[in-house]
Amino acid sequence: MKESFPNPKLDPPRAHRHFSEVSIKSICSLLAVLALSSLPTLAADPEKAVVQIFTFAQEADWDEPWKFGQLRRSSGTGFIIKGRRIMTNAHVVSWARQLMVKRYQDPRPYLARVVFVAHDCDLALLEVEDSLFYDGVEPLEFGPLPKVRSSVVTYGYPAGGEQISYTRGVVSRIELQTYAHIGNRSLLGVQTDAAINPGNSGGPVIQDDKVIGVAFQGMPGLENAGFFIPAPVINHFLDDIKDGKYDGFPSAGIRTAPLQNAAYRRKLKLPDNDKGVRVDSVLPGTPAEKVLRPDDVILQVGKHEVGSDGTIIYEGNRMALAMAVQEAQHGQSMALKIWRDGKEQSIALPVEVSGTDKVLGNQYDTPPRYFVYAGLVFTPISLDYLKTFGRGWSDTAGAELTYELFYRRQESPKTVRIEPIVLSTVLADGVNANFRTRGRALVDKINGIRIERLEDVIRAFESPSNGQHVVEFLPKNTFECLERESADKANAQILKTYGIPKDRRL
Amino acid sequence: MHDRYPISSRRPSRPALLHPSSFILHPLALALALLLLCQRAPAAPAPDWESSLVYLEVTRRAYEVFQPWTPKSRTVQKNGLVIGAREILTTAEELSDRTLVRVQRGGRGKWWDAEVVWLDYHANLAVLTAKEDAFWTGLKPATFITGKLPKEGLQIVRWRSGNLEARKAEFNQFLVEDARLSFFQHLQLEASTEMQAVGWAEPLVANGKVAGLATGQGGNNARFLPASFIEPILAARKAGKYPGLGFFPFTWTPVENPSTFKFLKLPGDPRGALVIDVPATPKVEPNLKPRDLILQVDGFDVDNQGYYKDPDYGQLIVENLGSRRKFAGEVVKMKIWRDGAQMNLDYRLPKLDYSVKLLAEQTFDQAPEFLIAGGLVLQPLNIPLLRGFGEDWKRRAPFRLAHYAGGPPSAERSGLVVLTSVLPDPYVVGYQDARFLVVDTVNGQKISRLADVQAALEKPQDGFHTIEFHRGDNLLRIVLDAGLMDAATKRILERYRIPAASHIGVKP
Repeated sequence: MKESFPNPKLDPPRAHRHFSEVSIKSICSLLAVLALSSLPTLAADPEKAVVQIFTFAQEADWDEPWKFGQLRRSSGTGFIIKGRRIMTNAHVVSWARQLMVKRYQDPRPYLARVVFVAHDCDLALLEVEDSLFYDGVEPLEFGPLPKVRSSVVTYGYPAGGEQISYTRGVVSRIELQTYAHIGNRSLLGVQTDAAINPGNSGGPVIQDDKVIGVAFQGMPGLENAGFFIPAPVINHFLDDIKDGKYDGFPSAGIRTAPLQNAAYRRKLKLPDNDKGVRVDSVLPGTPAEKVLRPDDVILQVGKHEVGSDGTIIYEGNRMALAMAVQEAQHGQSMALKIWRDGKEQSIALPVEVSGTDKVLGNQYDTPPRYFVYAGLVFTPISLDYLKTFGRGWSDTAGAELTYELFYRRQESPKTVRIEPIVLSTVLADGVNANFRTRGRALVDKINGIRIERLEDVIRAFESPSNGQHVVEFLPKNTFECLERESADKANAQILKTYGIPKDRRL
Repeated sequence: MHDRYPISSRRPSRPALLHPSSFILHPLALALALLLLCQRAPAAPAPDWESSLVYLEVTRRAYEVFQPWTPKSRTVQKNGLVIGAREILTTAEELSDRTLVRVQRGGRGKWWDAEVVWLDYHANLAVLTAKEDAFWTGLKPATFITGKLPKEGLQIVRWRSGNLEARKAEFNQFLVEDARLSFFQHLQLEASTEMQAVGWAEPLVANGKVAGLATGQGGNNARFLPASFIEPILAARKAGKYPGLGFFPFTWTPVENPSTFKFLKLPGDPRGALVIDVPATPKVEPNLKPRDLILQVDGFDVDNQGYYKDPDYGQLIVENLGSRRKFAGEVVKMKIWRDGAQMNLDYRLPKLDYSVKLLAEQTFDQAPEFLIAGGLVLQPLNIPLLRGFGEDWKRRAPFRLAHYAGGPPSAERSGLVVLTSVLPDPYVVGYQDARFLVVDTVNGQKISRLADVQAALEKPQDGFHTIEFHRGDNLLRIVLDAGLMDAATKRILERYRIPAASHIGVKP
């Protein structure tokens, strides 16, 4: 899988800029002007609707979950759309404590706030209360999905300068891409050779006076390749929020496998052609469980015929079947033609946004749940928690935590816990000083109660326990004991010693 | 694990030439070099070692893990020690899958054919002999130190470039750690030395007797099988009463928390190793249970860190009492604390066996098993296969495969078979990217071994073979035309120049 990175412009140099940098900037501007002179006609002044966004953010600490990290300053780009809103990337405004926006050639900063944020598709809408902000600005309008090889222009405030930057490129390809901001979703993305650099994030990509995309990520090791979020994804986001809340992109709840082996097709009594993809498995707990089963063959989704390799033709581009599912909104049903028991059938497949895979991706804006008792810090396991083990977290987090988070749901759905809990750390105190387990251990039971979720930890410590608390861990049945009376007494002082404002966040 | 310096070919017989500029030395560097030379000058070897120490050359088959049908040849050289009439002792490492073993006396000259007469991979010991009488002329058996090993006057001796090399070794510690070729822990001796590339059965000697055999080296620290570990095994073997080594298969943990002892209702001072996991296999009766405290083993008190005081070697972890002058089948007398009361337990040591784990730790002296069925390459999932991903296989192997390591076999599944690759052919179009998938069933039959696959392929269903893989985030099922499989296999073997469709040693 390709590795991608979002492009926030982190702490751009504002002082001590060398003269030589200014010279280079001048050359770049000249190149931009020369490039623009040969472009298709643009709206009169689209740059007037393009804004620079300054974010002051503070991320949660997933290891010591009552804490927040240092205040970080970054900047990105946005653009004004109708309804007096600013569209940008979710990663530009994540964990924001304060947002400021500046208009083109306007020295005044305006305070802004997030109205909607969609971390799965890396989009956000901001609002500026001061109505002066919108004076004299024509909002930008959205266009269609561009054609491959067509020209586009990106607008933005990339690193290294304060003036708006324009770069031209062509659309290189259109396919599903991993969205690096959330990390575990693939949505439609467009690759272009127009320069998209840190700070460009959230900027409009324009073709024929219309916004046809939002710049959002690059890819390490891939030169002259930037990516933007195309109109179908933007439109899905805008439709989604019409009811006042954002749900996200749904998934079908199935895994498919190409159906290109003649023997398998014959077994399923299917003609030996290039149509239909096989349902290999149905994900437990999804609506698909009620309407699909392994070895069903999906012939058509909505209006899209499905190839034997699991692809459809979308706007002239061949791409994964998931694209068709992502056209639907959460809770809608999709019309499917399937092949089952040797004949074609029509079914309606309800599609939903998965609630269970949230912890498998990067999470934002909502700090982690936790409970602290007698210096023992309990928190749900998540990708963000595992990342606290460092860059090589997949090696150092331990097989059991990795298995619990990423594999158990698939392999042993009957043994899965709703929200596996880890003892993330032990805040040293006399009451727990003799614990051998100092944290990063998966909790099995407390006082005999199986821990399914964080609330169970609280309930277990509150349950009668014969003067002692017994905390059991997985996978090797290690356990630790705690004197209940001493633990109760020490609890408040430990919270105070470690500056923990509240013993829980639920 | 300790770094090794494998000798994949013969050691250089002479020093490499230096570039002329290398001879222009700074006076200070020259002085330092002279000082080092003085310090490192080999002590005069005891003449006896020349007549006890022999040089071995082992040629063996090695295999490409993921193309096991292509054996390679590998030759290593190591040391051997004459220990009795027509007997040479060495370590068992690199003796598996041997095709030719030769011995040399005096560190140079003629090579004589030899053969292995006894070998124990768990103990990492082997005894060889040479048939020709002339070889033994003038050779004398070495003797082992019995009883407590000395910490002073240690030397490592070996043949190097035709000369006997002896270097001082400084005792570091006795420790109980993983065996070189097995999963149990036993007593080892660690000593630091200036000698490099140690680990090829070089004897550690003191006062003209053998204190140990080298098994590995990390930096300047070399590891040795101590004489006190070796000698009882050799004595039992000589008496025809060596049943193999036993071990403690259970898992225990130190306990520092007084509250845990209170929970276990143990009065008095904190003590004992806390048992936390007792595997179902190997079967031991009577057995320990999770939450037992081991208070005493064979009369030695066990402290709350799991250590006992060895009369010869000081504080050692309790694991050592599973191999300290005890063998498989013998009883280790334990005092344990269970359910609030003390009791005695006669713990009969189970025999070390690589197959007690779901993934076999080693597959010595067996050509790797494989089965090519219509382009599907199927192999047993075992640790040697995982090592095919490199020394750091725990990080580099697919997570799901590596996660099976250490797991116990179950009643329904004694082992695992993995589809390692698919050899492209029209017969398997659509499956060419499938790899590293653990097989669950073939034609509805549960699969533990390759022989199960072979048997299941004899029973196609409605003209098809259906292969299902373990549930996960990968492909779950493939279907193949049963009637065309044999012809496809034949075609694939020819196209990829594979000599045989299978090598299956273990029957279901």
